[in-house]
Amino acid sequence: MNVAIETNNLVKRYGDVTAVDDLSLRVARGEIYAFLGLNGAGKTTTIRLLLGMVRPTSGEARVLGTRIRVGDKKPWDSVGYLVETADAYPELTVRENLEAMRRLRPGTGSKAIERVIERLGLIAYADRRAGTLSHGNAQRLGLAKALLHNPELLLLDEPALGLDPAGIVEIRNLLIELARDQGVTVFMSSHILGEVSRLAKRIGIIHRGRLLQELDVDELERNRRGRLVLRTRDNQAARSVLLNAGFSAGITADGTIEVKDNAAIERPDDIATRLVHAGHAPTMLHVEQEDLEHYFLRLVGMDGGNAK
Amino acid sequence: MSNIAQAVWVELLKARRSKMPLLTALGFSLLPLGGGFFMIVLKDPELARRVGLISAKAQITMGVADWPAYLGFLALANAMGGVMLFGLIASWVFGREYSDRTVKDLLALPTSRSAIVFAKFVIVAVWSAALTVAIYLIGLGVGTAVALPPASAETFWQGTITIAISAGLTIALVTPIAFFASAGHGYLPPMGVVVLVMFLAQVIAMAGWGEYFPWSIPGLYVQGENLGTVSYVIVILTGVAGLAGTILWWELADQTH
Repeated sequence: MNVAIETNNLVKRYGDVTAVDDLSLRVARGEIYAFLGLNGAGKTTTIRLLLGMVRPTSGEARVLGTRIRVGDKKPWDSVGYLVETADAYPELTVRENLEAMRRLRPGTGSKAIERVIERLGLIAYADRRAGTLSHGNAQRLGLAKALLHNPELLLLDEPALGLDPAGIVEIRNLLIELARDQGVTVFMSSHILGEVSRLAKRIGIIHRGRLLQELDVDELERNRRGRLVLRTRDNQAARSVLLNAGFSAGITADGTIEVKDNAAIERPDDIATRLVHAGHAPTMLHVEQEDLEHYFLRLVGMDGGNAK
Repeated sequence: MSNIAQAVWVELLKARRSKMPLLTALGFSLLPLGGGFFMIVLKDPELARRVGLISAKAQITMGVADWPAYLGFLALANAMGGVMLFGLIASWVFGREYSDRTVKDLLALPTSRSAIVFAKFVIVAVWSAALTVAIYLIGLGVGTAVALPPASAETFWQGTITIAISAGLTIALVTPIAFFASAGHGYLPPMGVVVLVMFLAQVIAMAGWGEYFPWSIPGLYVQGENLGTVSYVIVILTGVAGLAGTILWWELADQTH
């Protein structure tokens, strides 16, 4: 059994609103799987379905081999989670919040608390009331609660939310370490492709409740579009030269020429030579790969038709 | 329903760390102090004339300044104030999980949701019972301090039994309040229900149907109404329905908060 999460035609409707629509996905054990979507795409509902917090309208979910039923006690001793915002009892200290969680997870030793406090960099805040923590530290406490019992599977909803850039790198490394060294499966949601592409092995893109695409991070590189961007002293004339040569050259809003033909992207030197011979030597020329943000927006059809 | 002891420990920690036990104790301790004030008023007609209105009110409810009247006042205040205060405690214990958005962390654990709900009810019951004991003990102190005429052991025994039973009936009625805190996702819906049932309890009791309305019954019991078994059954059924409803809500309803 190498599948940690499996959903089959999972559907969740709230009245007329379909939050999750026919979702079928597989997450292998030990894999970091990123679930990517805009706000309201259905990421949190999917995580709640996986955690048995909401009942599917149809379809089923299996987590660590157990079919999920609302209210069941299995398989939660092996699952750590963070859903939506990281919240804690404000009048309890960081340590007390963790102690409360430890008591509700039988079999978790008391040393686990100090271990996660140290691991999440919360030593200085251990005796601070949770209500006084910054967003970043509250997020760390939320992650500490999820990691407290050394789970086999982590379901994390936007784990980097509220963290500063150093915190994002730290948590990213922590998740990579857990997957690599302890074989922990991580299923995380995010709305930032650039962030997840640095740690996830596979990425599922969800939009309006539907899984649009599932791809390996390597495929991501291949799927992103490239473009050649250049500037000359007379862009209109240079563009005409390229159009006459059969390239689909356009002028962007900032006045540069962009060429999306593969021939141009693969051999920019030919373009430069052609322009030099026509008397329009480039003053700037470079090949750009579509950035992740645009790639993502293009996939979900929200790039406004201006995909780079 | 395993791990209940640990779940109770967690609920106790949350209650201890909050300001609610102190606030509810302070609020409830006004009852024996107020009762003591009425006793002073009743004992001293000169003072009674000077405060006028209060004296008139005290005459209506208690008549004379003695232990049976004072213990009766405490029991009635506990029964009626308890509907509000014990309801407030249940609203907080359940509703805070929604207001603080912490409920989601209690839903996918090896400790069952039923165990957590049960632990919460244990805390509400123990907390409410402790407040009753506290006002009773403060009441004994205040009664002694205002030098009420000595009474027989039988009087105290009867007073104790009355307060204990009325507190038990009132505590049994908090479970529907917990249901509204859970289904209403916070403090406000259950507090609205508390105000509504207190109002209805008065109106229905005045209309003469109080023995059939759960929240009228503790007050009628304290006032010595001859309640039939049906009244006690109604209170028990209401408590069981609230408990079952709350557990079923936690176990089966979609949890989106």
